[in-house]
Amino acid sequence: MIKKLRARTKLRRRLAGLLALAVALVSVGALYSVLVPQPQTAQAQDVADPATVRAGKQLFDNTCITCHGANLEGVKGRGPSLVGIGEAAIYFQTSTGRMPAVVQGAQAEKKPPVLTPEEIDQLIAYTNDAGGAGVNMPAAQGEELRGGNPARGGELFRLNCASCHNFTGRGGALSSGKSAPALDGVDEATIYAAMLTGPQNMPRFSERQLSPTEKKDIITYVKSVTDGNNNPGGNPIGGLGPQSEGFIAFLIGMVALVGVTLWIGSKA
Amino acid sequence: MSEDKTPELPSDEELERLDRDELLKLGGKLDGVELVEYPDPFPVKGTRAEKRAERLVAFWFALAGLASLAFVVVMIFWPAKYEPFDSDKHLLYSLYTPMLGVTLGLAVLGVGVGVLLYTKRFLPHEVAVQDRHDGGSAEVDKKTVVAHLADAGTRNGIARRPAIKRSLGFGVGALGLGITAVPLVGLLRNPHAQSGNKDGLLHTGWQHVGKEKVFLRRATGDASEVVLVRPEDLEASAMETVFPFRESERHDHEALVHALKRSDNPVMLIRLRPEDAMKVVQHAGQEDYHYGDYYAYTKICSHVGCPTSLFESRTNRILCPCHQSQFDALQYAKPVFGPATRKLAQLPITVDPETGYFIATSDFNEPIGPAYWERKS
Repeated sequence: MIKKLRARTKLRRRLAGLLALAVALVSVGALYSVLVPQPQTAQAQDVADPATVRAGKQLFDNTCITCHGANLEGVKGRGPSLVGIGEAAIYFQTSTGRMPAVVQGAQAEKKPPVLTPEEIDQLIAYTNDAGGAGVNMPAAQGEELRGGNPARGGELFRLNCASCHNFTGRGGALSSGKSAPALDGVDEATIYAAMLTGPQNMPRFSERQLSPTEKKDIITYVKSVTDGNNNPGGNPIGGLGPQSEGFIAFLIGMVALVGVTLWIGSKA
Repeated sequence: MSEDKTPELPSDEELERLDRDELLKLGGKLDGVELVEYPDPFPVKGTRAEKRAERLVAFWFALAGLASLAFVVVMIFWPAKYEPFDSDKHLLYSLYTPMLGVTLGLAVLGVGVGVLLYTKRFLPHEVAVQDRHDGGSAEVDKKTVVAHLADAGTRNGIARRPAIKRSLGFGVGALGLGITAVPLVGLLRNPHAQSGNKDGLLHTGWQHVGKEKVFLRRATGDASEVVLVRPEDLEASAMETVFPFRESERHDHEALVHALKRSDNPVMLIRLRPEDAMKVVQHAGQEDYHYGDYYAYTKICSHVGCPTSLFESRTNRILCPCHQSQFDALQYAKPVFGPATRKLAQLPITVDPETGYFIATSDFNEPIGPAYWERKS
């Protein structure tokens, strides 16, 4: 073989040299791309499909524009700006039916949602596109949003939340017709979104103020005391403690005691 | 009739001969009581009505007994260990207390109802008449009692012994004075004479000792965990409850717990939205108490001292749940509604240039919480 490879002409020798160089370059390039660490490049947001964004714009123009303005800038006296409002806020407000609001009042109340999940996604795509992205929902859903330490969740709930929402999430009154709602029948993602975005008069709890683990622990605690869960053996009668219990004690207990007293003293 | 003639008493031999019924009548006569009817409710023994009544009472007592036994069994054997709400043993656990209540309640009820039914069915239905003693006592009683009292007053001889009368007056009088002084002296002393006392009303747990920095610390549910607050931890329209922390306490578990529990420590750290921060009105003398958009007010209400934890982020109002006082966070937390009349004390804060965490530059400039007599304002 060696005898044959001894190039017979000058041209062939040159070609062989060039070929060797090319192979060497390609193999070094391949090694480089495999071994060198990837630089951290900024990843653009999952660019939403233009059709979704268009559908979202259509939806926005039909539903939200009256109070939130044509460019998401908000209308004074009617609705705040939605620039950079983020997926979490839109998900919370629309999936609980609070938005689209039908009447201006002390606060927008929860009602059956008007927008379907698909429409909510379209709206999110449009607002992210038109106003810039904001705070996003966590990737986990449902049961994955429950933490493992409900006792700590209870501590945090009592420190941060119980003043407005009551120790077991029965809700409470705020000033001038506003109120903090009861936490029954709310799913985990909605609770997470509410903590993250601070809807209406609720303060915002960023992921640095309450870490995701702490938020999940709070969600587990809330789940353990709402939806009829924290009633060891009895009718909670609204979970309002002495108010409702006192009422029942007087209405039923006292009347029964009076009846018994009358029976004791009656003629045989 | 105002005078009753005492009936003549039988002699001892006559007493021996009286049987129980006659003794009853005699006792009644001595008290002025006459038994008119005292019948046996079931004069004919063995009727069906009597048997039914017996069975009824026996049933209730038996029920009480069975319920008591059930109570003991439930107390010993029913699973009482806490089960979380999503476990399938939760229902059984949650019925522990009601079962105890039902069994014990039934037992007590059974005994009570049994006793009452027995009284109604089996005790004689007594009708008795008692003389009514109207008017004053008999003249002889009045005169003899008065004579007794007057005699006790004069025969002891105090009236004739002035030295004893005066010394008695002095001794008892001074004792009475001492007793009345006990509750009044507390009102006259000044409880705030030592104003430097760190536990007095003038100071809180934020009081600086020497040059040591006091950091703002967040509570995470674990008392021994030290997490300090940076400005970027809060978003606009956020509120966080913070407590004082000193570096010297870092390994002192008791001091760490105490800082979270001392009642005048909780402070609300509020980050206002930029458009609201532009509208802020500062109180004279407190212009540099804030750090940019960050304002720190005490949680202790200036009305009666409840924690004013309710922060409404849109209206920037701080609401106290006890008596519904509202404080405006944009106007040095002055009260805008409700019974409070004085603003919430503001904690002066800044960011420590060395570590980047929030620190309090000094204690509050006034006593926090409700007013008291000696408070200057």
